[in-house]
Amino acid sequence: MDIMVKIPFRRPARSGGCQCGAVRFSIAGGLGKAGICHCRMCQKAFGNFGAALVSVVASELHWTRGAAAEFRSSSIVARGFCAACGTPLYMREDGDPNYEVAIGALDDPNGIGPMSEQFGVESKADWFDGLRDLPHQKTGDYRSEGDMQKLRSFQHPDEDTEHWP
Amino acid sequence: MNSDVHATGGCQCGAIRYAISAPFENPHICHCRMCQKAFGNYFAALVGTKKTGLAWTAGTPTFFRSSSIVARGFCRDCGTPLTFAYDHSDRIAVSIGSLDHPEMVMPAVQFGIEGRLPAFSLLHSLPGTRTEDDIPADMLEKLKSLQHPDRD
Repeated sequence: MDIMVKIPFRRPARSGGCQCGAVRFSIAGGLGKAGICHCRMCQKAFGNFGAALVSVVASELHWTRGAAAEFRSSSIVARGFCAACGTPLYMREDGDPNYEVAIGALDDPNGIGPMSEQFGVESKADWFDGLRDLPHQKTGDYRSEGDMQKLRSFQHPDEDTEHWP
Repeated sequence: MNSDVHATGGCQCGAIRYAISAPFENPHICHCRMCQKAFGNYFAALVGTKKTGLAWTAGTPTFFRSSSIVARGFCRDCGTPLTFAYDHSDRIAVSIGSLDHPEMVMPAVQFGIEGRLPAFSLLHSLPGTRTEDDIPADMLEKLKSLQHPDRD
């Protein structure tokens, strides 16, 4: 008897979604290149200094709850977001085999590979590189005790749920 | 428009526009997991002002209550995260990236440091490219921005 049992190769499934949990997705394959885009389009779409994005093969991204709404930010790009809570979820150029998925929307944003590149540096804020040196505090350091007692998160957990909320 | 207005901004599609007439306060970035997920990003970049000093000049945001004490405003048409406010506070924060001139606001502090991602501290060291260098020439020709201009 052959003791070498063949186990089908299983790639790690990754999951993610928006803040309210109305839209959830899973990624069947691996994650591609990760980076941050500083371009003014990504800044405004994400309301931020830039967008942290990771490439995912489109056929390996599955919507497991709800569906993203899309806004066409230009003639060649669609951006997906949750219409119920606003979380930016992806951008995709027409014809691109990949989605660029918002890293912060992943349940495990640490699970990406090494970051490789900064894009759109023509719009990079002058002080971006200094952000890491700013003084810092933990959330518990500046929330009042009264706030902490009243605080009940309505954010979807960082894992799939059978029912939510 | 109110002559005290010193900053304007809005969402990507332009359905929602705002004007700020009270001074900016407490410019910061926040790494907490709530801000990460709400902004789909490493951190949120926010600057505060008085709630009475923020006027909606086109449209109104939709609000998601991310916790029992906080409401987050966004554009339902394009998703841009716009505001963060505690119920009990007379202050509201706008997302710095939604300002027409985000370069005017320099963050002074990092909050929610418990959620800071290891990759964050490496971002400055990554090689960088300009947008026009990343888009093939034939795509660049077809490119027409549908983003609202950075002015009213």
